[in-house]
Amino acid sequence: MFTTGSKLLIGSAVVATIAAIMYGVTQDGVLGTVGLASAAVALSFLAGVNAYVRDSNVLDTDAASVRASSAARYRPDNSLWPFLFGSGAILLTVGFVTSQVVATLGFILVLAAGIEWIVQAWAERTSSDPDHNAEVRLRTLGPLEFPLFGAIGIGVLIYAFSRMMLWFTQENTVILFAVVAGVVLIIGFLLAFKPSIRSGAIGGILVVAAVAVIAGGVVTAVDGQRDIHPHETVGELSREGICDSPEEFEADENASQNVSDSANVAALITLQSDGRFGVNVVGPAPEGPEGLTLTRSSANNIIFRNDSDHERRLTLDLGTEFVESEDGEEEEVPYQICTTLVEEGGEQLLTVVIPVPSSAVPGGFHFFVPGVESAFLPVVVP
Amino acid sequence: MNRSESQPVDPLPTVKTRQRDARRRATRITATVVAVGALAAGCASDAPQDTWQPAGPNAQAIHDLQWPVFLIAGIVGLIVFVVLGYILWRYRDRGQPVPEQTHGKPALEIVLTIIPALILIGVAIPTVGTLMALSDTDDTECIVNVTGQQWWWEIDYPVQDGCQGIEAPIVTSGQMVVPTGTAVLVRGTSRDVIHSWWIPKLNGKKDMVPGRVHVTKIEADEPGIYAGQCTEFCGLSHANMRMEVVALDPADFDTWKAGQLAAYESPAEELAAAGEAQFIAQCSRCHQVDGLENAEGEPIVARPDREVYSGAAPDLSHLMSRNTFAGASYDLLNSVCRADVWQSDPASFGEKYLAGVDLACLNSVELREWLRNAPAKKPMYTDPTQLGATDGLVRGMPYLALGEEQIDELVAYLLERQ
Repeated sequence: MFTTGSKLLIGSAVVATIAAIMYGVTQDGVLGTVGLASAAVALSFLAGVNAYVRDSNVLDTDAASVRASSAARYRPDNSLWPFLFGSGAILLTVGFVTSQVVATLGFILVLAAGIEWIVQAWAERTSSDPDHNAEVRLRTLGPLEFPLFGAIGIGVLIYAFSRMMLWFTQENTVILFAVVAGVVLIIGFLLAFKPSIRSGAIGGILVVAAVAVIAGGVVTAVDGQRDIHPHETVGELSREGICDSPEEFEADENASQNVSDSANVAALITLQSDGRFGVNVVGPAPEGPEGLTLTRSSANNIIFRNDSDHERRLTLDLGTEFVESEDGEEEEVPYQICTTLVEEGGEQLLTVVIPVPSSAVPGGFHFFVPGVESAFLPVVVP
Repeated sequence: MNRSESQPVDPLPTVKTRQRDARRRATRITATVVAVGALAAGCASDAPQDTWQPAGPNAQAIHDLQWPVFLIAGIVGLIVFVVLGYILWRYRDRGQPVPEQTHGKPALEIVLTIIPALILIGVAIPTVGTLMALSDTDDTECIVNVTGQQWWWEIDYPVQDGCQGIEAPIVTSGQMVVPTGTAVLVRGTSRDVIHSWWIPKLNGKKDMVPGRVHVTKIEADEPGIYAGQCTEFCGLSHANMRMEVVALDPADFDTWKAGQLAAYESPAEELAAAGEAQFIAQCSRCHQVDGLENAEGEPIVARPDREVYSGAAPDLSHLMSRNTFAGASYDLLNSVCRADVWQSDPASFGEKYLAGVDLACLNSVELREWLRNAPAKKPMYTDPTQLGATDGLVRGMPYLALGEEQIDELVAYLLERQ
């Protein structure tokens, strides 16, 4: 009674109707329901039209001809796609009432299995030659399947590998890589001296390696990653007196010494070998005790160059600030911003944003170098 | 076969012909109006941002370069269009047979490659020379910092020996005051997005990028006001982000400096005194007025970083010494006084500018409108319900729901900020 095309459309309309109802019941908002209901109406209409015109195939009315056609003589193979399509539909339904992730997975599965199923069914009716039909299917879906499956496969391997790397300790990672590198070297050596080795053997090795990586990834992902301590920065330690100290702290050891934003800086401040500051700004340098002028509420980039004989840091003293102590009360603490320890002859960038004018703070602001009393530079913020 | 014989006979040739003629006439009229309008625009006398009227050596250098470049480009353009027009007319389709097609003419192609290359080299040599001369700031004698933010410019003068000596920082906005005949180094940056500083009569454009300091130089030959505008699209009110350079002769510049550093005086007059209280309550969170003190006698320090996305708001210590507000997009002077200042001759300009804004000259209508509802006068992101992206911080002056009495008091107070 129903033609192939109308069956598909009727089924789709039913799925859309069920989905609209479920979405409306389980999810907030009406847009999804409206969209799905609209799809159901449109699909029902198309199904009706299709059924009425019998897929626009006049031969469908001639049952004898249809049964005698070359396509009809070949019985299609069993297919996994209906099962996957059904599984996807279940996931989608369950996902609507549980989690968006499950629903998304279901949707992807329904979409992928649906496309595969449709194309396979279409290809199997192309002719009575199964090989030709398979080729038609491959030519249609191959350009989509190969890169997609390749990307998924590589993605799974990378993800599994990353889980393993996050599980191993830093020391074990070194050992692991030494072993893996050795194995790769040996296999490469063998392949190079045994070119007649069968491709199946190479493929087998690769499959075993891939399975090992995936299995390792699953196991380590389940076990969880190792404890990773974030590197503390000078900014985080500034309230612990680090900016006042000429000593080295953990933050100094781990901080980057790179000058990454060194173009068009507000000033280049050099700790000279005589222990005094040299200041280089665009235009004539201010003279006298007024010092360096920086823009208020703006990111001022300053390069600190250490030309002294010791590792030194540049500190900007901004007076004091009030912070909440551990017992919940406000306490006044020094407000300082500083670089990490800079090696002799090295440079480092310091970015400062100062929201208040220097006139608002008793004593104003100034740069200094802990451990070098002669290095003192007033800062004016208008 | 005769061409006319092969075509169907048009039953209404006169109607179609008339329609075609009407269309052609309309096209010609439109083209003429556009061309005349474009040409007439070049005759505008009130063109404060005209790049063809240099008023200082840097703009003059650009002018000296752009004249020959425009001339050469114009001649090349004219030749191209004349030749193109001649070929279009000479070889138009008249039913003639398609001529024999040829491919390549090496001698002609080489000549037509070499000539443009020579022209470009001829243009590039003076262009590079001018660019290098404009980027050389070693000869500057005065430093002025400009900081762009949505949608106004802050201008500050650091302590220096230049600028005839600046003994304490000066902060203003909208109008940069400079001494005439002095090469001024403009050091610029931005607090939020990229802006571009351009005073066409004094020099070319310079982008101001957050976290970086960019420099340009300006010099004005004669006293006067030189208008400019932000030329890097910077958001909703980009078109309302204006600025001016005010050039004063050296003696007037000293007077202006002294005025900017003058000590604060609390208003004695009752309405203005009430305005001071209003200002402290409503405005001092963002706007700095140096010398203003709270009830305990402590100086009030504005903290615009807690209210405004850019972290800054215009300093109003000497608002009425400049004659614009709201990012220089509105005049503090009424139209009569504005014309008197803007159109005065260089000899009397300084005196008129330094007179500032008094009650008789105040553009009270727009100032009051601004205080009544600033976002209605200048588009800004200040709607409290739409500030999620900026953590509740506004981009510009918000609606303060001030009553008319409060506005009266504030205007009286601001009028004393000379």
